[in-house]
Amino acid sequence: MSHPIRTMLALVMGLIGWTAPGQAAEVAPAIQRFQTADTVDVPDFQQHVVPLMGKLGCNGRACHGSFQGQGGFRLSLFGYDFKMDHEGLVERLDKETPADSYALKKGTNVEPHKGGKRMEIGSWEYNVFMAWIKAGAQPVQTPKKLLALEVTPKELLYSDKAQTTQLKAIARWDDGSTEDVTCLCRFQTNDPQICDVTQGGLVTSNEPGDTHIVAFYDNGVVPVPVIRPVSPNYGDKYPAVATRTRIDELVTEKLRKLGTLPSEVCNDAEFLRRVNLDLTGTLPTSEEVRLFLADTGTDKRSRKVNELLETPAYAAWWTTRLCDWTGNASSQLNNTGIGRESSDREWYDWIYKRVAANTPYDKLAEGIVLATSKKPGESYEELCQRMSAAYKEGKSYADEDGLVYFWARQNFTKAEDRAIGFAYTFLGSRIQCAQCHKHPFDQWTQTDFKMFEAFFTRVNFARNGSDRKTYDKIVADLGLDPKKLNGNKLRESLAAAAKDGKLIPVADLYVQAPKYNKSAASQKKDNGKKNTVPDSPKAKLLGGDVIDIDRLDDPREPLMAWLRSNPLFAKAFVNRVWANYFNRGIVEPTDDMNLANPPSNEALLNHLAQGFVASEFDMKWVHREICNSDTYQRSWQPNDTNILDERNFSRAVPRRLPAETAVDAIHLATIRSADAPAFDTEIKSRAVAQASTPRNNNGAGQLYALSVFGRSSRENACDCDRSAESSLLQTLYLRNDSDVYKEMDRGDGWLAELGKQYGAKAIAVSETPARTRPANYKKQLAELKEKAEQLKDSDDKRAAKLAERELLAFEKRYAKLPPAPDKDVAVEPVKKATLPDDVLQPIIEEAYLRTVSRFPTQSELATSLDFVRKADTPLSGVRDILWTLLNTKEFIVNH
Amino acid sequence: MAFHIQCDGFGRRDFLKAGALSLGGLSLGTFLRMSHAGEVATGAKAKSAIFINLAGGPSHMDTFDLKPDAPDTHRGEFKPIQTSVPGIEISEHLPNLAACMDKFSILRGVSHSIAAHNLGSEYVNCGNRPLPSLEFPGYAAVVTKELGGPADLPQSVSIPNAGNQRGGYLGVKYAPLNTGKTPTAGQPFSVRGVTLGNGLTIQDVEKRQGLLTSLDTAFTGFEKQNQLLDGLDRFSQQAYAMITSPSARKAFDISQENAEFAAKFGTSGFGQSCLLALRLIESGVRFTTVTMGGWDTHNEGFTALKSKQLPPFDQGLAALLTGLAQRGLLESTAVYVTGEFGRTPKINTQRVGRDHYPRAMFMLMAGGGIRGGRVIGASDAKGEGPADGKGISPDNVAASFYHNLGIDPTKEYHTSTGRPVMIVREGQPIAELFA
Repeated sequence: MSHPIRTMLALVMGLIGWTAPGQAAEVAPAIQRFQTADTVDVPDFQQHVVPLMGKLGCNGRACHGSFQGQGGFRLSLFGYDFKMDHEGLVERLDKETPADSYALKKGTNVEPHKGGKRMEIGSWEYNVFMAWIKAGAQPVQTPKKLLALEVTPKELLYSDKAQTTQLKAIARWDDGSTEDVTCLCRFQTNDPQICDVTQGGLVTSNEPGDTHIVAFYDNGVVPVPVIRPVSPNYGDKYPAVATRTRIDELVTEKLRKLGTLPSEVCNDAEFLRRVNLDLTGTLPTSEEVRLFLADTGTDKRSRKVNELLETPAYAAWWTTRLCDWTGNASSQLNNTGIGRESSDREWYDWIYKRVAANTPYDKLAEGIVLATSKKPGESYEELCQRMSAAYKEGKSYADEDGLVYFWARQNFTKAEDRAIGFAYTFLGSRIQCAQCHKHPFDQWTQTDFKMFEAFFTRVNFARNGSDRKTYDKIVADLGLDPKKLNGNKLRESLAAAAKDGKLIPVADLYVQAPKYNKSAASQKKDNGKKNTVPDSPKAKLLGGDVIDIDRLDDPREPLMAWLRSNPLFAKAFVNRVWANYFNRGIVEPTDDMNLANPPSNEALLNHLAQGFVASEFDMKWVHREICNSDTYQRSWQPNDTNILDERNFSRAVPRRLPAETAVDAIHLATIRSADAPAFDTEIKSRAVAQASTPRNNNGAGQLYALSVFGRSSRENACDCDRSAESSLLQTLYLRNDSDVYKEMDRGDGWLAELGKQYGAKAIAVSETPARTRPANYKKQLAELKEKAEQLKDSDDKRAAKLAERELLAFEKRYAKLPPAPDKDVAVEPVKKATLPDDVLQPIIEEAYLRTVSRFPTQSELATSLDFVRKADTPLSGVRDILWTLLNTKEFIVNH
Repeated sequence: MAFHIQCDGFGRRDFLKAGALSLGGLSLGTFLRMSHAGEVATGAKAKSAIFINLAGGPSHMDTFDLKPDAPDTHRGEFKPIQTSVPGIEISEHLPNLAACMDKFSILRGVSHSIAAHNLGSEYVNCGNRPLPSLEFPGYAAVVTKELGGPADLPQSVSIPNAGNQRGGYLGVKYAPLNTGKTPTAGQPFSVRGVTLGNGLTIQDVEKRQGLLTSLDTAFTGFEKQNQLLDGLDRFSQQAYAMITSPSARKAFDISQENAEFAAKFGTSGFGQSCLLALRLIESGVRFTTVTMGGWDTHNEGFTALKSKQLPPFDQGLAALLTGLAQRGLLESTAVYVTGEFGRTPKINTQRVGRDHYPRAMFMLMAGGGIRGGRVIGASDAKGEGPADGKGISPDNVAASFYHNLGIDPTKEYHTSTGRPVMIVREGQPIAELFA
């Protein structure tokens, strides 16, 4: 059964047609033209043979597309290396008697073929190969340019299971020709739960929901949206939903197509907790919750958003996220700064200053992309003088114009790694596939990648400066001899000298002059100009212009200009910000923006990206726009139509707190009341203010929790370096880790405060029992004594000394402690103390406000009071309540 | 949930359907080969594993690959001694290991080209040469992913820390639990998060569990609809089981070990770590990593080796191997010992030590299907490189380690970016190890 909307669409498409006046007539599909062997048409290697080999699976990864080839025959993975593919194939052809071609015999399994029979003799596919070989198996001289791949219908709407549609794909070439290439396209479904597609382009609907079918041909990649509504109330039947903001309108437009109803707007407590976590990376204080709930103003949510945007905590959290995306990792910055551990800190501070000042994002990016150590006209010596003076005066690195460390990373030194890392950071795209083969999901070819790489080759981060003589002189003037000191020692000495205010040599990020190809130059001797022919004169922006970078002092300048105007630049940023608020991006994964991975709501992404550009890259504009929408403020509680929705933003999706946020949340939940208000302003000690994971660390302190909760390693140019998964170790940490107990029981913590307030006698602050000797104390002591005695007169003085020391240490540690208690005797319980309910109730409320940022319900309050009354002491009961709340899902989840 | 596209254009589902597709790009033959790749090889004896990480790069020339006939500039001051296996000699400072040479095999002439500590260590901790764009999972992560673990114990434990045994692209959920410290002889040992400390009793934990059950109700009714909430509930149950189960406490508490048995391990941190590793394996922990540092012997290397490094190493490892055998566990436990590289065969006379040298190094393997008492591979006359010029790659040793555990090293995972990656990208199991 055909659906009316679909029929209508098909009809419209039919009317528009693809043979606009003045265009050459469309070439019929190969499947028709090569139905019989006697066809006179000649297939083209690029347009027919290579796509057909892709379709038959010849150039797949497991087959001849493997980098080792298969059976001695290698094709480029996913095609597009026409030269190599042609050379490999031609060796296996018989132009005199095409039917005897080895390649055809293998493909038809006449000769045993490990890949089995890929086509029948006499089939249209077979005839394509035959006709091409008969005509001389011509290679590609100059590749044609595919102007457009047009796939119709443009959108598929289904109302039931097992409905089908045949897709049609038309290729439009730069020579004016158009051809129906449906039979040569590869098709793929992005979610087989929603729909399937055959290799002939026949789509079959499955479950309700939405996804895309993607068609691939040549370097064309075209996604076609597919929707099957989740309820009968879609389109005209969709109920009226209030849309307060443009975001709400655009989200509702999509939901209307799906028949998905959004959840209600969440309550004030939920909003406050969520917006604090998302915008500032921590919980609201209990006082903040009380005030916000008591506020009766109708604009209190937007006021709160504005208020939070001005806090240092906002700057710290978003600096942390920008450090994720730009790759600020101590582990990659060894020996790049003046102090041994300083570069990641300086990186953080540099970004922090700009986030706090709300510097436009394009300016921030420019400071990174065009960074150089020297100011214009500055010599290396002057750079050293300036930096040494700045270090002496304690000036902040944040005051520098550029962030050079982005270019200093160990995993960012090779041009190809830089091309990949640059695209990751600023375009949210993964171009690494194209490093070795045609990108399977995007338009990029290996040539595109190579030519993009050229922008990065001349940028050099010289740790030991750019001027050897000056460097040596400065080092010598300091009385240091690099030959006698190893690298680390020399660094330490230089850092010490810098602290003393002396002139030291510093690293220098600079752009090298273009390198010239001498052999090419010598061939051109006749024109009298030597050394003028550059090695690789051209670089090409991805999907953009070819640039003669050798004429430029800094090839990064056109790169930056292109970046600023590239739609992906704005999209990548707003999409990552969106993902911070909604658990997933409008494009997901957020660093995988490619043609085959379209946004779940294109209009929404365009609105945010265009608005961001129009606001002159005002980062706060993005946050405000999102946080003030109903879409952001929806409840997590689903209804029947949106319970499965995670990609169309009809409700809040519960998310685990990010590592830094989780660590800070535990700290804030257990903090002394008087210290709480400063938590958003005095951020130095907070996890979210730490620059990155130190290179040499023993996992002590916060670092253990940060690693268990999956803080970003920032090492692999992937947003997946940060983990949002839950794990057993996280649960064990919250339940039973001594670090959590330390937080709860710290002397300047909330429980200690209660202890002081209500009398130490009534309240045992810590459950840590008096220390005792180990159970086998006597035996151990005897053994140690014996050992020391034995060794006393031996020749091994060292061992004797060790044994004696061990004995003394053992005695010192335990002699004064009481013996271990007998395991069978119960410890005398502490005398029972009590507090009246009118004292306990506010304490329990406070525990709830500190952890789950809301007041307890009546039943929760009753359960808690009952529990505390039965506890050994009121405080041990409250301690258990606090522990329990820290271990609820509600605490560790942002909802 | 989003359907994930793989880098080669095929989703997981395509594999499952490949047999039915006529033009799906995958032949039935390929499909079968791939599906077999995921199967556990039959007959693998090892079911759990111990990885011993000698951080700093132990000298091969002074331990398991002595060159008594090399010139003074290379030889070093230690003399070889006979082992229990005729024809195999090792350093005089390894008498206990010499006595149990039948329990393990030595790989000599293992060779690679990374002379930096961390990169070298990353390499030997996963068997894949490090790449800037991809973090490989360590052995612990792969083994626990493939073989699972007990319900009331952690799947994987590192003593005292994981070093480069990372979750890599498999994610934090496969990262090992770090003990954070080495155990002390005869002392009860507790581990963060798992064993009860801070004066907590089982009763306290049960009381709190009751309270948690009655208060953790905000999402009641919706847990099963959401992967995260469901996962948190499952982990909560597992953590409760682990904390209250006697087996975890017993496994970690080395002071409960039979005194005579424990004495063989010596009192050193490394010896006690080996004892703990054995107890953990015995209780059902799937993978244990022990890290021993101090092997970066640039200065006064011989003194450091004979006084500080080798005696505890010799005593601890020998006790571990014989202890495993004694308890019938050596057959089911794959043991792999390695540093990140060897050390320069030519002695640095200024500092009387040896420097970093990846071209020739040693590794040790034992347990499972590995026959003990053998030397595989060889270095050349002066220990400067593999005798055959090619040597044994860390990749091949890693592949052998997995093979020993019944894990196909060529099995393919997909990273979160959809890129297909084999567990060991370049390695083949070394047949001689299992012959």
